[in-house]
Amino acid sequence: MKISVFGCELSGLVTAGSLAHTGNDVLAMPVGNLLKVRDLEQGLLPRDEPGLTTLVKSQVTEGRLRFSEDWQAGIAHAGIYMLSMPSWRSEKAEEVIEAIGQTASKDVLVINQSTFPIGTADRFEASIKLAFAQRGLVAKVSVVSMPEFISEGSAISDFSKPDRVVLGSHDQQSTAIIRDLMRPFNHVTDQVKVMSTRAAEYTKYAVNALLATRISLVNELANNAEHFNIDMEEVRQGLGSDNRIGFNYLFPGCGFGGPSFAADVQSLVGTLQSKGYDADLLKAVLQNNETQKEVLFRKAWRFFKNDLKGRKIAVWGLSFKPNTATVDNAPSVKTIEALVAQGAEVVAYDPKAGASFRRYWGERPGVTLVDDMYQALDGVDALMVMTEWRRFWTPDYEQMIERMRRPVIFDGRNIYEHSVLKSFGFRYFAVGRGDPI
Amino acid sequence: MGVEQSSAWQALQLHCDAGVGSQHLANLFRQPNRVSEFSLAFDQLYVDFSKNRITHETLALLMDLARQQKLPDAIDRLTRGEVVNETENRPALHTALRAQGEDVSGYAAEVQPQVAEVLEKMAGLANKIRSGHWRGYTGKPITDVVNIGVGGSDLGPLMITHSLQTIESPVRLHFISSIDGTQTSNLLRDLNQETTLFILASKSFTTIDTLSNAETAKDWLQECIPDDAAILSQHFIGVSASSKKMDEWGIPTANQLAFWDWVGGRYSLWSSIGLPIALKIGMQGFRELLRGAHMMDQHFMTTELEHNIPVVLGMIDIWNINFLDIHDKAILPYDARLRYLPSYLEQLVMESNGKAVTKSGDRVAYKTCPVLWGEVGPNAQHAFYQLLHQGTQAVMCDFIAPTTRDDFDPNLHSEKNESLRHQHELALANCFAQSRVLMLGDEAIPESLKASFDSPFKHYPGNQPSNTLLIDTLSAHTLGMLIAMYEHKTYVEGVIWEINSFDQWGVELGKQIAKETYQAIKDPTLLDAFDESTKTLIKRVVP
Repeated sequence: MKISVFGCELSGLVTAGSLAHTGNDVLAMPVGNLLKVRDLEQGLLPRDEPGLTTLVKSQVTEGRLRFSEDWQAGIAHAGIYMLSMPSWRSEKAEEVIEAIGQTASKDVLVINQSTFPIGTADRFEASIKLAFAQRGLVAKVSVVSMPEFISEGSAISDFSKPDRVVLGSHDQQSTAIIRDLMRPFNHVTDQVKVMSTRAAEYTKYAVNALLATRISLVNELANNAEHFNIDMEEVRQGLGSDNRIGFNYLFPGCGFGGPSFAADVQSLVGTLQSKGYDADLLKAVLQNNETQKEVLFRKAWRFFKNDLKGRKIAVWGLSFKPNTATVDNAPSVKTIEALVAQGAEVVAYDPKAGASFRRYWGERPGVTLVDDMYQALDGVDALMVMTEWRRFWTPDYEQMIERMRRPVIFDGRNIYEHSVLKSFGFRYFAVGRGDPI
Repeated sequence: MGVEQSSAWQALQLHCDAGVGSQHLANLFRQPNRVSEFSLAFDQLYVDFSKNRITHETLALLMDLARQQKLPDAIDRLTRGEVVNETENRPALHTALRAQGEDVSGYAAEVQPQVAEVLEKMAGLANKIRSGHWRGYTGKPITDVVNIGVGGSDLGPLMITHSLQTIESPVRLHFISSIDGTQTSNLLRDLNQETTLFILASKSFTTIDTLSNAETAKDWLQECIPDDAAILSQHFIGVSASSKKMDEWGIPTANQLAFWDWVGGRYSLWSSIGLPIALKIGMQGFRELLRGAHMMDQHFMTTELEHNIPVVLGMIDIWNINFLDIHDKAILPYDARLRYLPSYLEQLVMESNGKAVTKSGDRVAYKTCPVLWGEVGPNAQHAFYQLLHQGTQAVMCDFIAPTTRDDFDPNLHSEKNESLRHQHELALANCFAQSRVLMLGDEAIPESLKASFDSPFKHYPGNQPSNTLLIDTLSAHTLGMLIAMYEHKTYVEGVIWEINSFDQWGVELGKQIAKETYQAIKDPTLLDAFDESTKTLIKRVVP
């Protein structure tokens, strides 16, 4: 099939690459950013996503994936248009829809993957239909919602081996086309869940809301466990083995971050409030998470008796989760801001996110970035683990003890075993476990 | 010889007796161009004082009196930092607090470095709190700040922060002043120890009202915080002229903000006592407040008497009080954000000039400070305006209003905005209508309605003098100007009456006697020293 993909950030590139890989003729267009077609063609991508560069390069080489800055070319290329943009580009999406309305010349199927406000698909469809009517063009218009559920770090497999495909469509012909398009990814069992466009749009928000709530509740339970000297890890085993609960999203930690997860929940809360409704629980979840991002700071604050001035603190992990270079809304950012504001000095290491953190932090003093995880520990009063990169899980404890001025670890991801660290002589503080403080 | 026997005073008395004093305002308004002659504008402030029973000659004679009383010299002495508070042997340098290093001379210039230093320290604390980096004992950011202070350590910050309520603040502010503890116990129910910071504001740091509330706050913190050092370092800031007393109470030096004995309590919102203001609107906003006041200071110091707003308004008060025998003053803001302005001015004016002894210690032979009160105008219309319109005494009124509201977007045409605009226009219409009816009385009744007002109960004598003060918008800048204007006007009147506007001995004795009374409540054997009424009252408390 001929497909035009609008948007060349993570979602757009994964979609374009994956669809080209299964034989489609794909034209992808950057929307609203400064990405250069030439860079994209050469695999110079805005995101450092595992496997993505290889995928894009191979599809470009094989001729099934092309890039263009010309929307008109994209509109002329196909009758199937994918909107694959970050949620904050909804204004640009309006422009794309307007362009389609003004210049498309045949039947149109728009598949919106982006997380735009509820009702967007209906609105876009009405808008194109109106434009067609004004132009006297008789052609079929269908806008469906197929929210993406990809995560940074596992985006390609999330797209190509989805748990399910949520499809909001009220048009049988469109549904059939999309089933065919997604058939290679839906081969073993039929995982396409067809529903109304609004239900599909809401499902995306609801999934994020539920996950965010679960994380925040687990964090709160962990924080409270500390007050009773209970090891949350033991409780987690007890909880997860209950079939009604399960083990997913049950790790306590120093909060969730990322460019869109919290933003989507926030957007839902905002939409509800603007209509005069409230979302007390979700507001509390978001607030709770912001507080949780500083959980390690608070432990250090108490450990160092309300005075962090002149303390040297190592930070392992800056990205909001492993396997990504993104620091947007990351707990590390908030924690480092708090430490430096108290006069502490931070030495940070991250396998990938150093550059993006440097861009965020700018020329301000207080933070040194190093290229070696052990180098970060030289002469520090404590180590904070903010991201559970694999290489942090079983480090060289002896070297750590040797390099640190004080063997103190604040673990924001609960990746260490208290008894092991104790045997090496560490003080260990984690979320819902470790030494009491 | 008292000022009442002086030639300028006598000339005014003659002028008054010759008929000007008994003229009706409606009559005076038959002369053309009255408003252009009896109004002044400066920066964003416009003052219409035409609705006073004055003529050209009145103003000229009032200025003669001002000159005779050496007002220009008195202004100079005040702003240069000479001793104007003789009973306490010190200057009153509130103008130096807001000069920010500019246009000052004398002692006012000498103190600039220490003023700047404290402003810097205040900025540091305010920024730390506003940015969420001031932490409570568990490490959470402070979300609620409680100012514990009374009188000047309460009214100024309360009034300004309330007036600028539309500016969003990253922390919630609360004010506790009353000694009885009700405010404290009500407030603490809703606050969390982890995230609450107290400002103890007291010039002497011995004020029993403030210290007793502070003890209650400390007890409340101790319910959760085992470590007293953490309580003091993370949950209290002290603002005082006595670092020694703050030390004794346990406030760490880093948490102490100083001011000086040459700042009068009721003139202290410009000093570190203004910390709650800086927390509300940011340090830049606080400096705008200072700049607005400084502009008024400059106007006061450099403008000739005839065009000097605080001087003209002060002298008109003298005319009303001492020659027209009017002893009540109502402050009537037509904007609910200015709700606390009347209580603020009650202290400023009545604590400054509520005195009956001249600087030389002689009893005055004339009236001084009027009784001042007030209320948000539109609300007062449904309360005490009846007395203004038809009561037995004359009342001077100050109508105050912003001409535009800047708290809603003028380009945004939502229904709500339209309604708010409409409401603002309604408020202004009421403001202008009330001052007009108070001036004209029956003459304001249109011909078509005359028949329906033909009744002794519907008679409006009018002739109530008033000023109308318009500011462009209600902002830190205009508030600074407005408050400084009232301060200077108050001083002008004190100079004419030859009293010390900067001491307050009247409030001292009561404090002493309260201590004795408290001891008697604790120990009934001390009761014998009291009069029968007090004794009986105490016995009703302690059976």
